[in-house]
Amino acid sequence: MTSRLWFANKWEAYARKPFPLLVRLSINRIFRGSNADEEEGLNLNIGLLLALLAVPGGFISIFLFDKYGSFLQWLRGQTNFDPLTAALPDEYFFIVLSMVVTGGVGVWWWDSIFPDRRDFTNLGHLPIPTARIFVANSVAILVLTCICAIDVNGASSILFPLIVGASQLRFSFMAQFAGVHALVVVLASIFSFLAVFATAGLLMLLLPYAVFRRISLYARSLIAASLVAMLSTSFAVPRMLLDLPRSTHSSLRLLPSAWFLGFCQLLRGRADPVLAELGHVAMFALVSASAVAAAAYTLAYRRCFVRLPELADAPPGRLGARSSWVFHLLDLFVFRTPFQRAGYRFVIKTLFRNEAHALALGGFLALGAVFASQALFSAFNGKGIPDFPTSNVLSIPLILGYCMLLGIRFVFDIPAPLRANWIFRFLLDDSVHESAALVRRVILCLVSPWIFLVALPIYLHFWGWTVGLFHIVLVTVWLALLTEVLLVGFRKFPFTCTYPSFEPSAVIAVIASVLGYFAFTAMTSQLESEALATPVAGGVFLVMSFGVWYAVHRVRKSVVETDQHLIFEDSPAAHFELLRLTDGG
Amino acid sequence: MLQAIELTKHYASIPAVQNVTFELKAGEILGCLGPNGSGKSTTVKMLIGLLEPSRGRVLFRGEDIRKDLMSYRRIVGYVPEEPNLYPYLSGREYLELVGILRGMPQPQLGKKIDSLLALFSLHPSRHSAMASYSKGMRQRVLLIAALLDDPEVLILDEPLSGLDVSSALVLKSLIRALGQQGKAVFYCSHVLEVVERVCSHLLILRQGRVMVSGPSGDIQRRIGHASLEGTFHRLVEDVDPDKVTREILDVIRVA
Repeated sequence: MTSRLWFANKWEAYARKPFPLLVRLSINRIFRGSNADEEEGLNLNIGLLLALLAVPGGFISIFLFDKYGSFLQWLRGQTNFDPLTAALPDEYFFIVLSMVVTGGVGVWWWDSIFPDRRDFTNLGHLPIPTARIFVANSVAILVLTCICAIDVNGASSILFPLIVGASQLRFSFMAQFAGVHALVVVLASIFSFLAVFATAGLLMLLLPYAVFRRISLYARSLIAASLVAMLSTSFAVPRMLLDLPRSTHSSLRLLPSAWFLGFCQLLRGRADPVLAELGHVAMFALVSASAVAAAAYTLAYRRCFVRLPELADAPPGRLGARSSWVFHLLDLFVFRTPFQRAGYRFVIKTLFRNEAHALALGGFLALGAVFASQALFSAFNGKGIPDFPTSNVLSIPLILGYCMLLGIRFVFDIPAPLRANWIFRFLLDDSVHESAALVRRVILCLVSPWIFLVALPIYLHFWGWTVGLFHIVLVTVWLALLTEVLLVGFRKFPFTCTYPSFEPSAVIAVIASVLGYFAFTAMTSQLESEALATPVAGGVFLVMSFGVWYAVHRVRKSVVETDQHLIFEDSPAAHFELLRLTDGG
Repeated sequence: MLQAIELTKHYASIPAVQNVTFELKAGEILGCLGPNGSGKSTTVKMLIGLLEPSRGRVLFRGEDIRKDLMSYRRIVGYVPEEPNLYPYLSGREYLELVGILRGMPQPQLGKKIDSLLALFSLHPSRHSAMASYSKGMRQRVLLIAALLDDPEVLILDEPLSGLDVSSALVLKSLIRALGQQGKAVFYCSHVLEVVERVCSHLLILRQGRVMVSGPSGDIQRRIGHASLEGTFHRLVEDVDPDKVTREILDVIRVA
């Protein structure tokens, strides 16, 4: 027997022992999510997910070749190129990226870190001590954290040092650079995951279970928003870090990513006193996060697992019915048909009660909030309110509206439990439906309060009636047109259709969304700013609005009748069609 | 064999089960009946040691089960109320998992699983993920998992839920046969006809309290009803079914 075969047999025998089986079960639960619907989830397997997580670091490293290539430096005339100084912003970016991706994974796994009711039903009555299930779950978390940290940073830990060290003749430089980089980004990843994990454990420990469930969604959204905000700092912070020694009270000192950059510079022996101090903070934070996560997990585990059967048997809680008057009001003025009325109630309740939908929409809103705050900061940047709104100021409602609309359109494609959609299949006439009208009205109800109750008064107050009204009318028309563009070909009752199959068009859709963002926010606000100065330029908007409306109208006209029917399964269209020319004589 | 002594369970201050006392001897099939919220599931969870009673004890052969819960669980087979299984495991993988966690010797385990899968008509789909199983198929997987280690005590919570007619017939016959072999069976159900046919003894709960317990024939004689339905209605139900029916019809007719 070869040693390889011997090892494989030994491993197989070990893997079939109770403890490894429990670990595997926990890994599966954490990875797939505790409340994963059985047939309708996004069937990402572990391999695919790991590949997706590894992609950003790899790609970004490759794009940096342009910056570090010695030939390109020579062409640019850069003769005194210090790779370590040049790598500082990129190093910071990789630290942020590793923290954001791993933290995001932690937020995604938030609910499945602890054993759930299914585990209790299946394992609770078996002759296994609860402590063994606890240890197996802990090992699973540890294994997944390490795999995730290594995977997210694997590609960048190889490619980035290779690219930075390409201009150096010494191998030791590259090896040292790679070692420090890999250590720092992996530790930053682990810190990020443990911080999310500790937050979940502490909340579960300190709050009554019902309150924890209720605020869990908001806590996750807040963490997700903070991660996005951290990502958006990655281009500005390295420059600001250079000024850090001069500002003793800078809020940058509170950024975990800055601590790990300090740690990186400390290991490289290039840290000034401030960065060295931040490096020590990073180590302290890592140890603290590990301790808090372990303690909170141990205590929360007991509370969660031991009390699961009690929670299952406890009398059910009540859902609030406080918003019923709002529905009556909207029935009177907005939703005029039974389809729309039933649809609106279903959509709103699903959006705010179903975690997956609320989180996805929250993510888009957080993204919008981050971009809008960036625009706000660059608009004022320490100056007072200008007499005339700049393009940055004008872009804020457009940014928020764009992210909100895109988010709403995106979440409508995420199915709620499909087992429950039979009621819609049974009751709705697929050839006569008002799904687009319903979604249009839902968007109107969700977006218009922000525009008219928040944005309008602000613009009126600071820049007067002419500017305020012109801007709000333009934002409203623009958002209405964007709604129409997003609803081209829409023929689903929200949340009741299977996931769209992943097609090459999905990549195009992502690229179009990014380009659309710039066109919708930056270009529009720039044009508007010019139109406010020279009113004749306002005519451009009229022409553009009509052009978009006409294009949408033409596309709608060209859709054949069968492609307008309501669907519950989003399967790709057949690539060929059999024409039965001989049928029917 | 199994004794419940004054079992009481409170959730916060709300009593779910109060002073439930009964005995289950070897060879007996005890049918536990009660309307929704009567405390059946809570009683079951205390019987298998998943829930700790607020007061009272469960004794197995005179010993408190909490003294050595692991040994007790080794001789108990349990079918939960809901077939809440891991959807990404196949039926065979799930049964293997249960067998290994129960400490069953592995070479025999595989053969036993295959034989039981074939007898429960699950052999063709044994390697398919349980996400694709029907409710009845999942219920059969749970039944096999409960029977796999030849338990001395069987605790079944709605075991016929989702089963087709022939599987239900097999299971009813199997439960009777297990009783004859000396196993103790605790059978929770809403289906009065099945309980009437299968169970030798009855335990009827209402609002967490025992209304009556003992041999089914004795209970029916005591209450004075020939059928279990009549007995159950007399003991448990507050509502007049005819009156409620009339009221429902009236409401349906309103435009």
